Amino acid sequence: MKVKETDIVNIVIAGTAGQGVITLKRLIEFAAQKSGVERVFGSEMHGLAQREGAITSHTRYQKKIFKDERRNLQSPLICYGDADIFICLEPVEALRRGIFASQKTTFVLNEHDIPGVMITADLEAYPPLDKIVEILKEYSNDIHTINATKICLNNFNSNLMVNIFMLGYAIPTGKLPFINVEHYEEVIKEWLRDPDINIKALHLGIEEGNKVNYI
Amino acid sequence: MKSDSRFIDETGKVLMLGNEALVRGCLEAGVSYVSQYPGTPTSDIGEYFHQVLTENPDLKDYLVHQWAVNEAVATSSCAGAAWTGVRTFNPMKHVGLNVASDALSVIALNGPNPGAMVIGVGSDPGSLGSHQEQNERFYAWMLHLPTIEPHTPQECKDWVKLAFDLSEKYDLVINLRTSTRNAHSRGFVELEPLKKGKEKGEFIRNIPKFNSLPPHAINNHVRLYERIERLREAIPDLGLNKIYPGNNKIGIITSGVPFGYTMEALHQLELYNVPILKLGMIYPLNYQEITNFIQDLEKIIIIEELEPFLEIKISEIAQIKKLNVEIIGSKYFPKFNEFSTGLVATTLAKIFHKKPNEQMIKAIDYFNSYKEMIPSRFPTFCAGCPERATLYSILKATNQLENTVVCGDIGCYVMSFFPPQQCSDLIICMSGGLSAAIGMSTKTDQKVLAMIGDSTFFHTGLSPLAEAIGYDSNILLIIFDNEWTAMTGHQNDVLRYLINKDFSIEKVCRALGVPWLRVEDSYNPKKLTKSIEEALNAKGLKVIIIKRECGLQAHRYRMQQIRSIESQGEKAQEELFHITGCQMCHECSRILSCPAIRRVEIDGYETMQIDDDRCIRCGVCYQICPNGAIHKSTLNLLGEEVPFRH
Ligand SMILES: Cc1ncc(C[n+]2csc(CCOP(=O)(O)OP(=O)(O)O)c2C)c(N)n1
Ligand code: SF4
Ligand code: SF4
Repeated sequence: MKVKETDIVNIVIAGTAGQGVITLKRLIEFAAQKSGVERVFGSEMHGLAQREGAITSHTRYQKKIFKDERRNLQSPLICYGDADIFICLEPVEALRRGIFASQKTTFVLNEHDIPGVMITADLEAYPPLDKIVEILKEYSNDIHTINATKICLNNFNSNLMVNIFMLGYAIPTGKLPFINVEHYEEVIKEWLRDPDINIKALHLGIEEGNKVNYI
Repeated sequence: MKSDSRFIDETGKVLMLGNEALVRGCLEAGVSYVSQYPGTPTSDIGEYFHQVLTENPDLKDYLVHQWAVNEAVATSSCAGAAWTGVRTFNPMKHVGLNVASDALSVIALNGPNPGAMVIGVGSDPGSLGSHQEQNERFYAWMLHLPTIEPHTPQECKDWVKLAFDLSEKYDLVINLRTSTRNAHSRGFVELEPLKKGKEKGEFIRNIPKFNSLPPHAINNHVRLYERIERLREAIPDLGLNKIYPGNNKIGIITSGVPFGYTMEALHQLELYNVPILKLGMIYPLNYQEITNFIQDLEKIIIIEELEPFLEIKISEIAQIKKLNVEIIGSKYFPKFNEFSTGLVATTLAKIFHKKPNEQMIKAIDYFNSYKEMIPSRFPTFCAGCPERATLYSILKATNQLENTVVCGDIGCYVMSFFPPQQCSDLIICMSGGLSAAIGMSTKTDQKVLAMIGDSTFFHTGLSPLAEAIGYDSNILLIIFDNEWTAMTGHQNDVLRYLINKDFSIEKVCRALGVPWLRVEDSYNPKKLTKSIEEALNAKGLKVIIIKRECGLQAHRYRMQQIRSIESQGEKAQEELFHITGCQMCHECSRILSCPAIRRVEIDGYETMQIDDDRCIRCGVCYQICPNGAIHKSTLNLLGEEVPFRH
């Protein structure tokens, strides 16, 4: 379906504390500004949630707003089932925030798991990846998984760029409309430490994403 | 990286969080003094002020930002500054208002003139970053605090400016109330020029105004009513309240973030003709303005989070004006937790007899069908946290809390109650643990243990400690002297200034006369365990100070040192911990529970493994492993040693 300029774009990003969920959200928002969108409104979590906890952010933008405010982006939170794209930096975090997905959602998912302390203590079980994907498929068949952590470790000897890599991997889905790669690059240069490596990670992600056959 | 000029650019359109926009608004309003104690969702406000002042030192000519020891101190400090004739801003989290309320009750009565005072209360429906949930809007009635609720960052910026004007004009303390949601939501903000605040003011003696004792107390109360009534009259001209017209006979009154949910819910239900009154000011209300909106309607739905506040006031107006209109809200909406577009849409669907959106219902139902199997991921102490290591020693010394009660408190150690350690039995409020222990210890023969952090110690912990010393309460108090206000993000606060002035909690305890005192290090778990055992066998008040820097900060500092050594082409010595011969006894994963340790399968055998990237080299697991399976090796033996600070 072709995206209209007045459509509201809904992006859920989920992961664990320290994976760069909020940085990624900020990056998309500032890139959206560079692309000239008229409205941005999205919520992120600060404070207590940031010690090893689960982190989600809602990124939303609208390229052109209606005169009638009743049809515009007004809430910083995405409604249940309304995510256009779901960027998951950790597999079970996709399940935890699955409620924002529906058949219109495209999932891009990092396969690398980060088990919490209850898993290590063998007091809870971490579901296998294929089970997670099977559950998510009930929301939408449009699921693309990749081991971003492994790729980043192999290429950069670090997992700090997993978030940016996953953004790159998400770009070819077409679910982040109106924002060009140059906009992301500009923002990375302005706001991130180590812009060169991050831009490389972005392009590596795009390259991998381009290998997927999106209909 | 470019420097962040969003706070000082003269014009433009920038992206800002609600909290950033508040700071920008203060700078455009010419604020001169800011004081606060950190607390989610308002801690970052102070961080932005700090950043602005560091990057633009010329602003220091007129702007002072201070981190107070607690909210009551911050509030009175702001009043003190306002009474010299300057503009002051006082952010706090919702429970901070409980602490500040004693001071605020008097300041509101006296009035902030000749200056202005705006408080920025960050509410937290849904308890997203708090130890409780409350509707602190009711303070607006009790203390006569005119309360403004913005929805977007633009409104945060514009309305905090307006709040200063109103405070100055009507001699009222104004509350600019955000919630965790909009404080941390980003949107566009149109900038206006900055205004320089007053460098200096002067306190002019005015005994009746500033001494609210008899006979002036009642006069000031009378004056407060006059000031509130003048503001009430002016509301329709302030541009804070807005009507979205429609010809439906059912109307909606709402404010703040719930307005956003309401608009999108109505869009989803294709209900475009419902008239909406969006209130920017929720207290006081202008009776005529409300009457004009509701008088021709049959039903009014009030959409507000937590206990009914607007619903009660608007029902009162309808009754006074004898209007035949049904007012509903809390009958349909929950009085707890935060709202969402989904919640508002399903509730409105019921009221308007509409079918809720199928995509949404399907998502909710499907999610509920599998949610039980999602493994938990609660916040937990960082790898190498000295507080976690202390819990290990407490669990060992008490044989897993046998006949022991742990009175917990608020700081990172608030997370003690989570499994697998589950080492906290109760939490009240900052310093409430020690206070509870004082009473409890008189009524039980169980061993009573209380915990407190250094920031909480200064917030309100000194007083109960003095009491416990006075009565020689039979308590073991553990003080986490980690040198930071860690939980809220390590602000560069007054605690840091004290530490730089060579202050120590040990000296304070000695001066107060603590009868049994030890200073221990939780990175030496066997010694600490022994000390706790001894303390619990002794009678009267015992204090153990855990002197060990917050692991996260200590690790950041070490990494900096290592990077700087490496950037000079040198090598840094590194200790590595690794596991071989693991017997899967779970001592490290269930009793210490360090998140740098993971359970993996190698060649079909289960073993624990240490994640080098997350391990901060505290060495605790190495010391406690009962099977000697955790080993230490040193890398770059000839390189420079980089120990933890101290
Ligand atoms: C009245 C009140 N104000 C602020 C807060 C927010 N708050 C929670 S924990 C904390 C800091 C605790 O610091 P400290 O006692 O040093 O413990 P640490 O986090 O360093 O372990 C603050 C300010 C609160 N919960 N209640
Ligand atoms: S921030 Fe510091 S005190 Fe808090 S959990 Fe992490 S290491 Fe412990
Ligand atoms: S040394 Fe052990 S306890 Fe300390 S951080 Fe590393 S893995 Fe955790």
